[in-house]
Amino acid sequence: MINLNRHETKPAVFKHLFMALLGAATLFAAGCSTEERDENDGTIINAILLPTDVVLNLHCADVGIHPETCVLDDPENPFATTTILEFDVNDPDATNKFDLFNSIPAGPTGAKARFYFWATALARRGSGENQFYTALALHELFDANSNVLSKDELVRAQALKAYQSVLDNFFGSVTVFTCCPGASPVGEPVAFSVPLNELTADNLYRTDATGFLRLIEGDPLLMQEQLLEWGYSYQPANPPNYDDGVVSVNGG
Amino acid sequence: MAGISFFKSMTKVCSILTVMLVFFVPLASHAQVDKVTTYKDANGWKLQVNGEDYYIKGVVWGYTPRGQNYTYNLFGQSDDQIRKILDYEFSLMAKMGVNTIRSFTMIPPEWVTYIYREHGIMSVINPLMGRYGYSVDGKWIPFTDYSDPRTREVLKRDMQEFVARYKDTPGVLMFAFGNESNYGLSWSSFEIENLPEGEQNIAKARFLYSLWNEVTEAGKAIDSNHPFTIVNGDIQYIDLIAELIPNLDLLGTNAYRGKSFTGLWRDVEEKLDLPVVFFEFGSDAFNARDFAEDQLSQALVLKDQWQEMYNKAAGNGEEGNSIGAFIFEWRDEWWKYLQIENLDIQDNNASWSNQAYLFDWAEGKNNMNEEWFGITALGPANSDGVSTARPRMAYDVMTEVFSMDPYAASKGDINRTFANMDVGRYELMGDVRLLKAANEESKRKLQFTGGRLQGEMVLRGNESGIDEDGEDSLEFSDGEMVFLDFGFQPTDQVSGQMTLNVLGNVAQKRPLEFTYGDRGLPLAIQTEQLTILEGGDNEFIERQVDFKDRERIEIYDFDATYEGENIDVNAFYHTRRFHWGYEGDQFGLIREATDLEGMDIWNAKAPQGVEIAGKGKWKDFTVLFGPEVYWGANPKVVFKYDFKLAKFDWTFIHSEDLARRSDGTNPTDVVGRQSRQTTLTAEREFSNGWKLEFGGIWSANEKVDEVFDRVDRAGNVYLDQIEEEDALGFRAKLTFPWYETYLQAHHAGLVADGGHVHRTWGITDPSRLPYSGMGNKREYEAGMILRFGNLMLYPRVMYRDNLVHANPFIEANIGGGVLNPGTDPRNTDEDPFAVLGNREARSAELYLTYDPTGATQFYDWDNDWREDAKFAFNIGGTYTEYPTRTDSYLFFFEPARINAPFGQGLPAEEVWGISSRMVFNPNRDSKYIVRLVRGFDQSTGNPDGGTRDFYQFDWKAEWKRKHTFAGYYMKDAWGPYDFYRQFNITFPEQVKLDYSVLLGNSGQLGSAEDENRATRVGIRALYRSLDEANETFEVEGDYTFMTVLYFTYQF
Repeated sequence: MINLNRHETKPAVFKHLFMALLGAATLFAAGCSTEERDENDGTIINAILLPTDVVLNLHCADVGIHPETCVLDDPENPFATTTILEFDVNDPDATNKFDLFNSIPAGPTGAKARFYFWATALARRGSGENQFYTALALHELFDANSNVLSKDELVRAQALKAYQSVLDNFFGSVTVFTCCPGASPVGEPVAFSVPLNELTADNLYRTDATGFLRLIEGDPLLMQEQLLEWGYSYQPANPPNYDDGVVSVNGG
Repeated sequence: MAGISFFKSMTKVCSILTVMLVFFVPLASHAQVDKVTTYKDANGWKLQVNGEDYYIKGVVWGYTPRGQNYTYNLFGQSDDQIRKILDYEFSLMAKMGVNTIRSFTMIPPEWVTYIYREHGIMSVINPLMGRYGYSVDGKWIPFTDYSDPRTREVLKRDMQEFVARYKDTPGVLMFAFGNESNYGLSWSSFEIENLPEGEQNIAKARFLYSLWNEVTEAGKAIDSNHPFTIVNGDIQYIDLIAELIPNLDLLGTNAYRGKSFTGLWRDVEEKLDLPVVFFEFGSDAFNARDFAEDQLSQALVLKDQWQEMYNKAAGNGEEGNSIGAFIFEWRDEWWKYLQIENLDIQDNNASWSNQAYLFDWAEGKNNMNEEWFGITALGPANSDGVSTARPRMAYDVMTEVFSMDPYAASKGDINRTFANMDVGRYELMGDVRLLKAANEESKRKLQFTGGRLQGEMVLRGNESGIDEDGEDSLEFSDGEMVFLDFGFQPTDQVSGQMTLNVLGNVAQKRPLEFTYGDRGLPLAIQTEQLTILEGGDNEFIERQVDFKDRERIEIYDFDATYEGENIDVNAFYHTRRFHWGYEGDQFGLIREATDLEGMDIWNAKAPQGVEIAGKGKWKDFTVLFGPEVYWGANPKVVFKYDFKLAKFDWTFIHSEDLARRSDGTNPTDVVGRQSRQTTLTAEREFSNGWKLEFGGIWSANEKVDEVFDRVDRAGNVYLDQIEEEDALGFRAKLTFPWYETYLQAHHAGLVADGGHVHRTWGITDPSRLPYSGMGNKREYEAGMILRFGNLMLYPRVMYRDNLVHANPFIEANIGGGVLNPGTDPRNTDEDPFAVLGNREARSAELYLTYDPTGATQFYDWDNDWREDAKFAFNIGGTYTEYPTRTDSYLFFFEPARINAPFGQGLPAEEVWGISSRMVFNPNRDSKYIVRLVRGFDQSTGNPDGGTRDFYQFDWKAEWKRKHTFAGYYMKDAWGPYDFYRQFNITFPEQVKLDYSVLLGNSGQLGSAEDENRATRVGIRALYRSLDEANETFEVEGDYTFMTVLYFTYQF
């Protein structure tokens, strides 16, 4: 039978050759279709000029307000791809966001960069601290872009929304300051926490707290009314330290 | 003196008697073997046993309880249980008048004799001779190549061994080889494939029939007391039989020709002049047209067939070559359709068409229902644990038929008896039994089918507690739960099952063990409450809220199936489902969901969904949708279409996530982004043994235009964007016949993620090659399987490059108003892609496997239970170089219910692992399985702690099929659950010892599921020593331990 079959058999080598070629072509097509990314792809972003102007274009209605994250898609945001390191309680001496923040030029020329910095930090991690500093940056921008004759109403409203978000979303949050090495027995700075609700109300109530224009012009009582409208009562802090203000939730 | 002489004399007498006994008992035993012959005179052919005429009144017998399939091993049960089952079965058969059985199971000789002596029923010894594949030199060949000289040699040798083993066994009627083997000529070979198409099968058949002849001749040389035959499919190739098997004693054939065997008698007489035995014939008892059980049609077909056979017996003036037959079959087999699914349900699916069965045949539709061929229906187990048999009408008809002696009765008497048979009465008897059974089972509505009760008592402690408070520090807790199983079948087309779980107390075993039922553990939640203080001020005060007695009752699983004319619909909830890798899903989009135990410890309820599978003209379409169709899946809908084009089998699959899953169940259960994939794949197996698979994927195109940053070799940070081509991937695999060698290439764009990679041997594949279904790669793999007798060597290599590498951490900085944004490792939540398991790799491995019993393949998922070699083992290792780092892995942060990144990637590393698994079966009642692992490997998430160097040894020992002793010893290894490796948590030493004894039927150790559910009592001890590598383990001291006394009662 084997002889009989062989007698009628055509050489199988061509079939194998065909299969080998077909297989090789398929493998080649599958394995070699595109290349690694190189210098022709994308844009180098090693050096990004920080904005120095004070005109803020809101990328979306709630930019800088938790939980909106549209700032990450804002083409004007220089920090969109920047890693912003949060404070690590397990490694308090490690580099953190305040190191980078402190490198932003001081004064009005850095105000817009500060907003993008904190709004980016907020979008990445919703925390009271990030929300508070975003509000403060908006407050600074409002101040920088306003004068006696004209006020940046858009940014004023955004700053108020940001401050309200601190109270609404992060009422119990604190931020930590270090100061006064003299007060420490070992002569090192002492860390102390401050409730963000107090700082928020203080910033709104006193111009001296920030050095910026009031977001609600006129008598500070108007600010207290605004807080009441938001659902909070504020008992202002007293001089000289202004550290005893109390914010409480109405009807809570 | 006289006394001494008498004593000596008696000693002599005793010695002589002893010698006589030694020599003559075997001869006496041999004398019990029956002499079976075929005989022909002028009246025709007869079969004679010890000179007496013997007309075969047979059935094809098999015993597979509900819920079991072809893996069920009756003769692996205890002798007592086997005896109970055989007595039940063969008493009922004997009552019907059955005198012979044919079985696909090789009944051990001692039980052949038992059946014969106790019930008077003889057996045909019928090895299948490679019909459904065969193990040749340790390699499992799914399509036996009868032309291969080595295969022929092995088959001939093995068949001779069968004959030698059974030839002296009382109760053997004859030897038969194969089972319609002429329908299984599916192997490929160069010579044959190059013949004209019409001659190919004839050429193959010549090999088969010539081998049959060789086997028959060889058998006859060993045993001259029994006839030898083959089991042919009908009388196909009858000329070849005549030409090539001159030594055949009779023709065995399976014939499904309807009510009459038509011209078969004449054809056999003319061409072979041999007596005929039908080894299979009959009819199913399900009417595919009416979609209902049809006892009457089955019985009438059988009645007509037997009447014809009796008329064709010797002495009736016709061909005279009928000497009996075996009805297919004694019992229904509920596993036949789908074979591993719906084992508790009798499927109504008709799987082939036969126009000869006119009672339910319709043009273009199937009418043969494989699970309904029994002349008795498969009932539930009785109090002895024996599956009951409900006789159908055919049983009663056959009782009357078998009461006749076709040689003693005249042809007229025979035909009068058939004509006068009170069919109506038998129909009524069958219907009454059916109604009674239906009532008893309440199956058409809702039926409580059983369940199990579990209880445990736990004692746990740790070093610091012992040091401080001694034994008082030990914590005791207890747990109880019950599973209640229900089946339902409201209509013939709808059936299903569900299991309820009810918790009592829940034992506290964490963190040493996470088990199903932990959902009921008390849950403490820290919260803040606004409190009004004295003086009217208010303040948020922290407090803890405890939730106890949670989720005491839940649906554990649910499965329902609708079998329609054009579609089958299956709704599933936490029941096992398999991947689609064998159905064209080359990119692994649909992952396997069989690890229910793994899900249970987190109370995950995957898979959940509905599958709609087309039938008939819609058979190429499948739609799958649901909230979690496999573990970790987003809510999605999947559409699959299979088609043929240019001789290739093509598969189109589109998978669309409808939403993002809201929640994970454990740290490893990261919630993936909503996405979509489309694949088009093709494969073809060529006749010369080559196989080509290729396909393309278009994945996650919603990510096109998303930005990402990357770093070049000079340290420049780039802002880049996902482009259309980044969503495309291609793969191809070429397998060729020399040593089963394969080459594979896979290119995938940055976001062209597929799913799970299917390994050669599935989940039991020991390979540690760094497989990944993710994109961003150019990957090449090759392997070959070298076989040397029962040894197998399997080398594999893999090479993979990335298109974009993982990001290092570069700190951002600002100087002079200029920002260098730096970069950090990506993660799959915030970035369009990340380099993780798909990182660059150069990997090689080699595994050596020894398994002398290829039919129980060493890498089958259930090999722990099925391996029957005296000794089988594998040993091998893998070495992998990862030249680059990874991006950051994610974990699911349960307290906040969000994904969270580890923040840093795994560093470049060279890792390796070696392992060996050994199976010992010293005798039928004992089994020992040992696994050794040694490795140097990385975590799957957290890089802190570095690469781990570990050892592992686990084992399982069973003896007397009652006692199980299992456990492990691990040194410097990760803990036993996936999250330990994810968080890189290792322990200096881990020990587990678990002894249990079965209180119920020993057959319950037959599979993983059976074993878990068996009635048993046991004790388990766990120990872990602690160090700084597991500080997050939250246990104080140098060690922790736990003992668990447990029992399970199955009812």
